[in-house]
Amino acid sequence: MNQFLQATIYGLLQGCMFGLVAVGFSLVWGVMHVINLAHGAFVLLGAYLAWQLHAAFGLDPFLGMLPAGIVLFAFGYALQRGLINLVVNAPIFITLLLTFGLELLLVNGLILVFTADYRSIPTTYAGRSFVLPGDIHIPFGRLIAAGGAIAVTSGLFYVIRRTRTGLAILATGMDRGAARLMGIGARHVYALTFGIAAGLAGMAGAAVGAVNTFSPADAGRYTLLSFVAAVLGGLGNTSGALIGGLLLGLVEAWGGQLLGGTWINAVAFAVLVLVLAIRPQGLVGKAYYASRVEV
Amino acid sequence: MNIRTLVVVCAALTVAAVGCRSKGDAVPAAAPTPEAEQKFLLGASLSLTGSLAREGGLTKEGYELCAKVVNDKGGVSVGGKTLKLDIQYQDDTSKPDTAAQLVDQFNDKGVKLILGPYGSATTEAAAAVIERNGQVMADSAGADDKIFQKNYRRTFAVLSPATQYAASMVQAISDLAQPKPKTFAFISADDGFSKTATKAAIERAKALGFVVVAEEYVPNATSDVSSALTKIKPLKPDVIVGSAHVVESIAIVRQSVELGVKPLAFAETIAPHTPDFVKTLGPASEGVLGSTQWTVKTAGKDKWFGSASDYAATFSKQFGGRAPAYQNAQATAACLALIIAAEKAGSVEPTKVRDEMAKLDEQTFFGPIKFSESGQNVVKAMSVVQIQNGHAVGVWPKDSAEAPLKWPGSAPDKG
Repeated sequence: MNQFLQATIYGLLQGCMFGLVAVGFSLVWGVMHVINLAHGAFVLLGAYLAWQLHAAFGLDPFLGMLPAGIVLFAFGYALQRGLINLVVNAPIFITLLLTFGLELLLVNGLILVFTADYRSIPTTYAGRSFVLPGDIHIPFGRLIAAGGAIAVTSGLFYVIRRTRTGLAILATGMDRGAARLMGIGARHVYALTFGIAAGLAGMAGAAVGAVNTFSPADAGRYTLLSFVAAVLGGLGNTSGALIGGLLLGLVEAWGGQLLGGTWINAVAFAVLVLVLAIRPQGLVGKAYYASRVEV
Repeated sequence: MNIRTLVVVCAALTVAAVGCRSKGDAVPAAAPTPEAEQKFLLGASLSLTGSLAREGGLTKEGYELCAKVVNDKGGVSVGGKTLKLDIQYQDDTSKPDTAAQLVDQFNDKGVKLILGPYGSATTEAAAAVIERNGQVMADSAGADDKIFQKNYRRTFAVLSPATQYAASMVQAISDLAQPKPKTFAFISADDGFSKTATKAAIERAKALGFVVVAEEYVPNATSDVSSALTKIKPLKPDVIVGSAHVVESIAIVRQSVELGVKPLAFAETIAPHTPDFVKTLGPASEGVLGSTQWTVKTAGKDKWFGSASDYAATFSKQFGGRAPAYQNAQATAACLALIIAAEKAGSVEPTKVRDEMAKLDEQTFFGPIKFSESGQNVVKAMSVVQIQNGHAVGVWPKDSAEAPLKWPGSAPDKG
C-alpha cells in the first residue's frame, strides 16, 4: 500500500512538472492554432539560461525561473512578430515545417554553444525529501516545481480571464475577425501569446534543470510530452495542460507499478487514444475552438 | 513572389538544409585527386546530435586524437608510401537507419574503411551494410553480443563484449567487498546492449551465490526510473546494479536519493567513467562503481600512443587538461587497429585489411587486441572503477588497481 501511495505521490509531482512544461504549448495551439514543434527547444533554452545564471552568479534555479521567463518572453514575442506571424494563416503543414526548422536550428545551436554534455543545476536541497509516516518521501525540488506549476497556471488563468489583455487573447483566439472589429490588434496579441508561452516554457526549463538532467537532445521529448499533456487536458482551457500533465504523471506511475517500466510509454499513449476516442476535445477542453471563425 | 511565399520557401529550405546536413547529404562526393590518393581515408558515422550526442562526441574526440597523433608522426606507412590519415565524419543523429545509410554513402564515395558509430543499435545497423558492401568496420562502441552472432566477417570490435559490462562489477564486489553483500537488484534499460549485460550479470551473481531480489526494466534514455525504484525499495537490496546509459544511470542515483532508497552500493555500467556523471550528481556520485573498457593503468603499449598513461597525457594535452573517458580511448583503439592492419597488409584494399584485422594479435595502450572468429575482442578484460573524491579510479582487477575499494560505497544521503 505504501509503495502504491509513494508511486502516486511521485506521479502527481511529475505530472505537475509535465503540466508546467505543456501549458505554453497548449496556449499557443489553443489561441493561434499553431502546433509549436520548437516548444521543447524553448524549455531547454530556459534550462540553459538558468544553468548559466547559476554558474555565473550562483542564482538558485527556482529563482532563475523569473529571468528565464522574461528573456524567453522577449524572444518569443520577437520570434512571433518577425517570423511566425508571416505564416500564421498558412495551412498547418507550413507552420509545422517552420517550427520544426526552428527546433533544429535551436537544438543544433545549443549543441554548438553548450556541447551535448548532460547537465543539471545543483542545489543543496532539491534532492532532499520530507518523510511522511510509512517512509513516504516527498522530494523538495519536485514539490517546489509542482507548487510553481500550480502558481503559474493559476496566474495564467487570472491573466486570461480577468485582465483586458487576457480577454483580448481569448477573443482573438475565438474569432480573430470579430476581435479586430472591436479594435484588438491581432498581430500584437498573437506575439503576446507566443511570448507568454515561450516565457512559461523558459520557467519550466529552469525548474526542469533543478530536478532533472538535461541536454539538447531532450527537446523532442519535451515537445512530445507537451503535445500529449495538451491533448489529454484539452485546448482552450488554461488548466487543461496541468490536468493533462497530472493524468500523464499518474498513468506513468501506475502503469510502471502494475505492468512494469517498459510499458510506461505504451500505457500513456493508450490512455491518450482512449481519451481522444471518448472525449475528442480533451478532459476539460471546449469544442468551440474546433469551430472558431477564420477571417 | 509575395512575402508569404518567400517565407514558406525559406522555411522549407531551412529544414532541408539543416535536416540534410544532419544526415550527411551536404558533402558532395569529390573526384579523387592526386593529393587525395596520398591519404589514408576513413569514414566515421557518429551520433553528433540526438540522444547519444554526448557519447558520440567522446567517440569523435578519440578518432580526432588518433588522426592527430598519427599525422604528427608522419602518417601511416602502407606499401612503401606514407599516407596521412584523413577521417571523414557524418552525423547519424543517433538513429540506426541513418547510420546504415551513411555507411552506404561512404561506400558510394569509395570510402571502404569505416570507424564504428557509438552504441550497439547503430553499430548493428551499420554492420549489415558493411558486410553487403565489402567494407571493413573497426567497431569502437558496439558491444552487444547480438552483433557478432550473425556470421559477419567484416566487423571487428576492439572492446570487450556486452556480457562483461555488469558481470565484471558483480565479480569485483564478490572479490573485494567486506562485509560481503547478500542481495542484488538489477535495473536495466530496455535496449539490446543493456539487456544482454543484465542477463549475463544476473547469471554471474547467481553463480557467485548472491540472491537476486529484483530485475526491473526501464525505457531506454528515460530520466525517470522512479517506478523501478519504488518497487525495489521494500526489498532493501544490498547492491543496485544499473545496466544503462548515462542519463538513466544518473536518474537511478538521483531518484534513489529522493525516494530514500539506500543500498550499500550502486554499480552502474558505463556512466561513472563519463565526466558528466560526477558533474551532474555531485557528492551523490561518491562511491558509485562502474565498469570500464580502459583505465590509465591498463597494461600494454604500442608504437603510436605508448602506454595507457602516455595516452592519457597526450589526450589531456590535446583537450585542455581533461582526462580521457574510456569512450575516448576505445575510439582511438579502433582507429589504431585499422592502422596496424593496413600497415601489415601493405594496402588499404578492404579485403586485405580485413584479412589482417582477423589475424591481429597486438599489445596496445588499450590492452590486447585479438579478434575471435566472430570479430569480438575476447582477450581483453574489463576493469571496474569507483568514484572516489570526485574521480573515477580503478579498483579491480587488483593487479591494475589505482586504489582499494571503499565499502560500503553508497553515499546517497549526502545528496
